Amino acid sequence: MSSWTSPASIAIKDRMFRALAVLRWVLLLNTVALSIYRADSFQRPVAGAACVVAMVLWTGFTTWAYAEPRRRTFRLLAADLALAIAMLLVTPLVKGDGFSASLPGYWVMGALFAWAVHYRALGGLVAGTLLAAADLSQRQDIGQSDYGNAFLLIVGGLIVGFMCDSLQQMATERDVAERSAAMAAERARLARVVHDGVLQVLALVQRRGRELGGEAAELGRLAGEQERVLRELIRAQEAVTTVHGDEIVDLASELARLERGETVTVATPGTAVELPAATAYEVVAVARACLDNVRRHVCEDAPAWVLLQAFPDRVELSVRDDGPGIPAGRLEEAAAQGRLGVSESIRGRIADLGGTSELVTGPFGTEWEFAIPRPVLGSSA
Amino acid sequence: MSEEPAAPIRVMVVDDHPMWRDAVERDLAAAGLDVVAVAADGRSALARFPAARPQVVVLDLQIPAPDGVEVTTEMVRQDPEVRVLILSASGEHTDVLAAVKAGATGYLVKSASREELLDAVRRVAAGDPVFTPGLAGLVLGEFQRISDDPSPDPDDPRLTDRETEVLKMVAKGMSYRQIADRLVLSHRTVQNHVQNTLGKLQMHNRVELTRYAIERGLDVE
Repeated sequence: MSSWTSPASIAIKDRMFRALAVLRWVLLLNTVALSIYRADSFQRPVAGAACVVAMVLWTGFTTWAYAEPRRRTFRLLAADLALAIAMLLVTPLVKGDGFSASLPGYWVMGALFAWAVHYRALGGLVAGTLLAAADLSQRQDIGQSDYGNAFLLIVGGLIVGFMCDSLQQMATERDVAERSAAMAAERARLARVVHDGVLQVLALVQRRGRELGGEAAELGRLAGEQERVLRELIRAQEAVTTVHGDEIVDLASELARLERGETVTVATPGTAVELPAATAYEVVAVARACLDNVRRHVCEDAPAWVLLQAFPDRVELSVRDDGPGIPAGRLEEAAAQGRLGVSESIRGRIADLGGTSELVTGPFGTEWEFAIPRPVLGSSA
Repeated sequence: MSEEPAAPIRVMVVDDHPMWRDAVERDLAAAGLDVVAVAADGRSALARFPAARPQVVVLDLQIPAPDGVEVTTEMVRQDPEVRVLILSASGEHTDVLAAVKAGATGYLVKSASREELLDAVRRVAAGDPVFTPGLAGLVLGEFQRISDDPSPDPDDPRLTDRETEVLKMVAKGMSYRQIADRLVLSHRTVQNHVQNTLGKLQMHNRVELTRYAIERGLDVE
């Protein structure tokens, strides 16, 4: 979307022109007051009064004209600038050749900023240059302050124009971003409805298939597999929206991927648990190693449970199985033989993260409890 | 829970998916339960609820408006004795948690087997909260968030150490039986602890809603 035509940039422009209308009246007041105060310096008071009246009328007209976007045509802007230049050019005729202050004074800023707002940096530069040239061309000797004023006209027009350009571009970009966020949210909502329907059918096929047996059972098994895949996809998509930058990862959704239908159950706090990516992936790797261990030492489809808890200063991870437990002395035996068992490597990885590990084993099964410190993340607003 | 009570359990099934609704209804009826009403959306569910007076409502969360959470709130308001068992296909975390805060006492994913469903309905009817480890994890997380609140309120619910311990064990997939053995408690005591945690969460939800209503200057009963 172009920043010249986007609704957001037009809204910015509207705002700027409203502000400019107020500025024009302030400038006009200043010019009128100064003209009255210096009335005796006018060689042709009637012509001077006519010029002031023209400026008053023009200010009223521009207030109305610039209020509506469709009236902001090149003709209006050209007329605006032409009148300001004309006021500068007639100054010697009204005030005499040796005048010190020009007739419109700062009032010319109204036309300058209109160009800067409407035509941005280039417009500001052109209007500023023309006004400065008109002012300087009528002066017999150019003093320090005349030069200063001319310089300010050019630079001011350029800077205001540039800032209007930036503002409008930013507003347009923000508009595009907001729109795509809204579209993504709507797409997600639609997807949720479809996913829910698909999950329902897959769950139904799975359930009926199991009951019917035979070939239907195979269909049911396949449906169950697809249900799991779709559920994982949904969780992964949820995770994408909670990742800030590339170094922060939501550990909860990463762990949720370890879930395996009937065997591995993952419980998380339900909201994103943000950790630096390196830490999060290491924690996931540890959980995976624990689960591999369950498969190897208990049986291939032994149930296992993973629990993640988040605290302000740490996360706690538990991995539990219902197996026969590790026989007493087995770990010590392995260590004595100089073999670093899987459990030692798991402990080592957690220790590298600055965390602590605890292994409880018995006839009730095996339970790993890990606590991993959580760095204070910068506010992710 | 193995004993079938003298009068069959009165169940209402709310689900917008006709195939699924029929399957659940058939399974419940085949097991000797009394399906007193079915509904396909929130509006008809609430319309049929007062006359049907079910003991257990088997409720899908994603139904045409009003949604499962609103339906739960309204049903529990009308009849605090009713037990709502959430049956959800997607298991969207936030939805499930919202339903539990609104007063649901059980949650099951739709891929659960027929036996698991029947067992869940019977247990919920008997006043047992039916938890999945996933739901226990959510509830633990919710209490943690409440206690992490930088401006704590003395009325905020807190879990006792024992309740936290029990809930954590549920979240780690342990059955009430296993927890009872491990902590040397009675099965009933473990159930009570779980029930209390749900009660605190629901109470907190009501307090929050009332506070919100008062802050917004709305009338509350």
